[in-house]
Amino acid sequence: MKKHASAQIPDPSRRQFLRGVGAAIALPTFISLLPRGLMGAELAKAQLATTPTGAPLRTAFLTFPNGAIPAEWWPDGGLTDFTLKSTLQPLAAMRSQLQVLGGLDQVNAKPNGDGGGDHARGQGVFLTGVRLNKSAVDVRAGVSIDQVIARQIASQTRFSSLEMSCSTRNSAICDSGYACAYQYNVSWKSATTPMPPESNPRVIFERLFGAGPHGERAANAQVRLLDRRSLLDFVLDDTRRMHRRLGRHDQEKLDQYLSGMRDVEQRIQQSEKFGPNVDPDRATPAGIPANHAEYVDLMLDMLLLAFQTDSTRVATMMLAHDGNNRSFGEIGISEGHHDLSHHKHDPERVRKVALIERWYVERFAGFLRRMEETTDVDGNSLLHNSRIIFGSGNADGNIHTHVNLPIILAGAGGGLLTPGRYVKHDSKPLSNLFLTLAGQAGVTGLERFGDSTGRLANV
Amino acid sequence: MTFLPSAHTAGLIPLSRRLLAAGAVSLALSGYATGPLPANQPLLESFRTDVRPVLEKYCFDCHAEGSSKGGVAFDELDDASKIADHEIWLRALKNVRMGTMPPSDEAQPTEDEQASILKWIKQQAFALDEQQPDPGRVVVRRLNRVEYRNTIRDLLGVEFDTEAEFPADDSGHGFDNLGEVLTVSPTLVEKLLDASQKIIASAVPAQPREVAERSILGREFNNPTAAANPSPEPVPAAVAANPAFAEFYEAMIKAAKDAAFLSFYEVGSVQHILNAPMTGTYQLSWELQTAEQRMRGEGAPPDLNRCRVRFTIDGVTQLEREFERSGDRNFQLPIEVALTKGEHVLAMTVQPIASDAPQTRQLRMRLNAVKLRGPLEKEGWVVPARHREFFGNGVPQDADERRRYTVQLISQFARRAFRRPADDYTINRLVDAAERIGTQRGNSFERGISHAMVAILASPRFLFREEVTEPLQPGKKYPFVDEHSLASRLSYFLWSSMPDEELFRLADEGRLRQNFSAQFERMLRDPRSSRFVADFTGQWLQARDVANVVIDPLSVILRDRPNPELENARVVFRSLIEDDPIHYTPEEKIAFDHADKLLKEEERRPKPRLTGRLRRAMRQETEMMFEHIIEEDRSVLELIDTNYAFLNEELARHYGIEGVKGSEMRKVELPPDSPRGGVLTSGAVLTVTSNPTRTSPVKRGVFILDNILGMPPAPPPPNIPGLEDVASKDELSRMTMREQINLHAKASLCRSCHLRMDPLGLSLENFNALGVWRESEQNLPVDPSGELVTGEKFQTITDLKRILVTDRRRDFYYCLSEKLLIYALGRGPEYTDTTLLDELADRLEASGGRMSVLLTGLVQSAAFQQSRESSPSFSATADSRLTVADRHSTSESNVVIP
Repeated sequence: MKKHASAQIPDPSRRQFLRGVGAAIALPTFISLLPRGLMGAELAKAQLATTPTGAPLRTAFLTFPNGAIPAEWWPDGGLTDFTLKSTLQPLAAMRSQLQVLGGLDQVNAKPNGDGGGDHARGQGVFLTGVRLNKSAVDVRAGVSIDQVIARQIASQTRFSSLEMSCSTRNSAICDSGYACAYQYNVSWKSATTPMPPESNPRVIFERLFGAGPHGERAANAQVRLLDRRSLLDFVLDDTRRMHRRLGRHDQEKLDQYLSGMRDVEQRIQQSEKFGPNVDPDRATPAGIPANHAEYVDLMLDMLLLAFQTDSTRVATMMLAHDGNNRSFGEIGISEGHHDLSHHKHDPERVRKVALIERWYVERFAGFLRRMEETTDVDGNSLLHNSRIIFGSGNADGNIHTHVNLPIILAGAGGGLLTPGRYVKHDSKPLSNLFLTLAGQAGVTGLERFGDSTGRLANV
Repeated sequence: MTFLPSAHTAGLIPLSRRLLAAGAVSLALSGYATGPLPANQPLLESFRTDVRPVLEKYCFDCHAEGSSKGGVAFDELDDASKIADHEIWLRALKNVRMGTMPPSDEAQPTEDEQASILKWIKQQAFALDEQQPDPGRVVVRRLNRVEYRNTIRDLLGVEFDTEAEFPADDSGHGFDNLGEVLTVSPTLVEKLLDASQKIIASAVPAQPREVAERSILGREFNNPTAAANPSPEPVPAAVAANPAFAEFYEAMIKAAKDAAFLSFYEVGSVQHILNAPMTGTYQLSWELQTAEQRMRGEGAPPDLNRCRVRFTIDGVTQLEREFERSGDRNFQLPIEVALTKGEHVLAMTVQPIASDAPQTRQLRMRLNAVKLRGPLEKEGWVVPARHREFFGNGVPQDADERRRYTVQLISQFARRAFRRPADDYTINRLVDAAERIGTQRGNSFERGISHAMVAILASPRFLFREEVTEPLQPGKKYPFVDEHSLASRLSYFLWSSMPDEELFRLADEGRLRQNFSAQFERMLRDPRSSRFVADFTGQWLQARDVANVVIDPLSVILRDRPNPELENARVVFRSLIEDDPIHYTPEEKIAFDHADKLLKEEERRPKPRLTGRLRRAMRQETEMMFEHIIEEDRSVLELIDTNYAFLNEELARHYGIEGVKGSEMRKVELPPDSPRGGVLTSGAVLTVTSNPTRTSPVKRGVFILDNILGMPPAPPPPNIPGLEDVASKDELSRMTMREQINLHAKASLCRSCHLRMDPLGLSLENFNALGVWRESEQNLPVDPSGELVTGEKFQTITDLKRILVTDRRRDFYYCLSEKLLIYALGRGPEYTDTTLLDELADRLEASGGRMSVLLTGLVQSAAFQQSRESSPSFSATADSRLTVADRHSTSESNVVIP
């Protein structure tokens, strides 16, 4: 679209943006969160993804790239008397709100005869727990845990899930013979349908709340829904007719389109159920800030807003894709992150990698703090009612290991979790944790996920 | 573009016309005549008798009897199904063809032995039918972001920023236009629906008449106090080095040229004579900005000066407001006025507000534009700008004629959007919807048509390139794609966009195949083919990435010429910068100030940097090289070795070449001893294959293997041993890149692969990570010499280029042919493409590498003209009740739901 001088004055400053978070948003009241006139079966559904107090139970999966320097990541000490080392130091003030989880593995990210490509595997396996088909074109992973949860609880919110990323993508060259889809997506709707993340905060904001200035967004969002609905009949019919004309392999692509259309349809119904959109009293983000820390923080604010307004209860966010080679001039590191991560035990390189990891942890800590400062509908903090995974698909980036992954689980899940601990799980599949999280969110009938061997206890 | 068939191609085209006319475009195979092997001989038997003895002789040392280097063990091929594994034979084929296996220091098979193996692979293992080659399977292609944007531009004249609005496309084999890889996520579907609305709303008028609107730019105001408009300061170095800032800065300067400026500190005014077309009500919106520029000198306090701005029409004040410094904030000040027909004077006057505040900035009011709407009265409304384009001379009043007119408008648009005529069922549905909506209260005929157009853009028939085949001809294995499919294959290959009217017309008339060569040449000459050039080179050479690659100039320069004092200053600066200066000890304070001073001086010293303009020039250079070869139908070998380059002043200076003036890119004859010329020594390739602080000979070597020689190295093994196993950290820190890289040769695990890539990468060590020529690294002279894994020795990059275009040129022919095949067809290469690639390489060889031979050979091939499978509409199962419903939920392997 041609850009016209906008009548709206975008406010580029994240700080000013933040000023309103937690204060100026007209939150739905506790009661009105529950759709009106719920009957039997629907009432049961309403128990999905809710905390014991009835507040929404949110789940987010944040990933950071290239693993973590083990010596700087893992705390000293035991279950509750642990001390954080340098990488996790920014989380010191939040330690009672989180668990450091040791001993969780993604063994399907190991080479096992597939050779190189540990970054593609680390990213692609992280939330799916399956072996990836090593191919540049024949993409087959598995459904990711966020999508398993999202599918079950879709009826609870306007958006069944949210996918975000702070990575910009370069040309089409990817890791060692793996299709780029594995490395640039962490969320998978099906084995063959990745959920490409959105990286522009403006676009995310407008998708959640509507375009235009405050005061007009709800109406704009309504128009957008009506516009979409006006297309559904024709496009669905047209898609089905085209589907019939195609060969089997082509039909798979049309299935994706059809499934996307059904999601749109469902979202329209959800929207009608939930009434007018929430319209945060703030300027729409202007776009991607030039300063990278501001950018990541702004994206995390979008996540916070989405949770706070109960627009969705499930989200994924790639702080950067695995293998990312960004240099961190802002903290005086001009080498690329991935390049450095193969540090060969050179102390200077190790130090720099640890600083970069700490930079990511700082972003995460800031997000947790803002989540803690935001009061939820039941009077608890938003963080209390959430489960935020922060982790990487590589453990030791220097030699690409995928066992004892660096994982943090923040939030109390509304009381379902026991934070404030450093728990060593002693070589269990990460998928076991996912099984536990899915169960808490009300996912039923899921006996196994990825390489799981059972639900992870003691979380 | 000129595209003159050369002596070689002149012979080719009539031949292919004949073939086309006969309905057989499959390329006659010239290189490999059908051999003596009986076709019915079982695969296993032929393997045992014809192949295994040769393998035993030359290959079993590494690939049998317990040794399986590269995961290949030939003695394990003991049953027919293992022997039929195409993947292993495709690797063998490439390695034997290139002479990379057996390694050059091992016994080599005779030419006859090589030929017999190649023949066996093609005829037995692949069972290729050279007369009727398998065209391969192209999965239905969704328009990617580039194609969507171009298609919307060509279809509707609207610029839609898909980069910002749609998530990134997935890619494979280095290209992002592969049907198999391009997926459709639910978010994308939602965005596509919204995009359809947005695009049509911005292109198609929704009313027959509307309020007139226009913008009067700031520069259209005459400014008697022109001195208030100082030229902007030169771009600061720190800004220029960051591409994101530099782009922004340049856009800002450009926009500033459209604005008028008035100083805060003196009385001034600007005015414009407005001609009102009729007496009526008008809305004016003053679009202002408070601009400020820092004065020279550090640490000036904020400027507290203020001013009053008055807006008048014919001397009568309409609006008055006070402004203070507010950092480039935008203001819109709307007014509504009654104007009589004729001329009026619009003026804006700035009056300083007396203040004792010192002037520490340059504060100015910036008038970007006045947006004018009106007259608002209906009789003054105008026909919307693009109304005629979409609705012709007007909408018929008669109901029947109106219906016919609706059918006509919608059919025309659907045909272009779907890239083939739409069926009656679809048209009727759309016409019904258009009429229903167009006749609703408050709606217009135009709105009804717009609705149908939105539906067309939201249809999968717009988003996906559905292909239809001709009926299968008797005696043929593979059907031709129909003429409309062919038109789209051509247009998306050469233009990254939809067919134009001429292609549509020919396809409608069923005459495109008859006129195929002429059309192909016309399309290549068309300016739109620059999209192919940009899109293909941007991905093949990764030239897209030069826009964002991050290289730290100081680190690069310190690597070329170490400067301990500066390096120490960097360490001191970084260790102290995070602390609050209040906590510095006196010694730290001195050390910090000293480091700060040194680094600031260094920062100001002119040095090569990747400015936004330089990055663009680098990218353009690769595009112009490729375009030049197409235009003049030159040898593709010139992409590697030439005596010319495409440069402007800035790029020439970066390359150390004298005598190029101005910003315009042009062809430059290189000095005889210049190492430049060709893609390998182009700034784009040299920078995108570097790390942020240094060159990466490994990345550069892999780049050449992958994109020039077509021999991608095996991926690195897991658990790579650290280099510290072979050298101490201290030793490592002082080594040149070559010394470090040579450590690969010491570790046996690394050796075999790195022998392939390292010499290639090291040959470019005379070019640092910024692509600048250097003689030394770590104060030691650079040694670019080396030896290819196939045995050729070289002293310099110039030698290597010569080897690549002589001894190894066939490898490059294969490689470029394969890359173009992937891009043109939107699918990965398969073993079934062996016949075509052989043919293309042979033709290139025979023609001296002419680009036209390659391109025409490709588009005339079975792969481009035919389809592996017939459209289901031609098979018996015309109408199967569709049951796609939730197929996904049952097919996921990692979720078990009992």
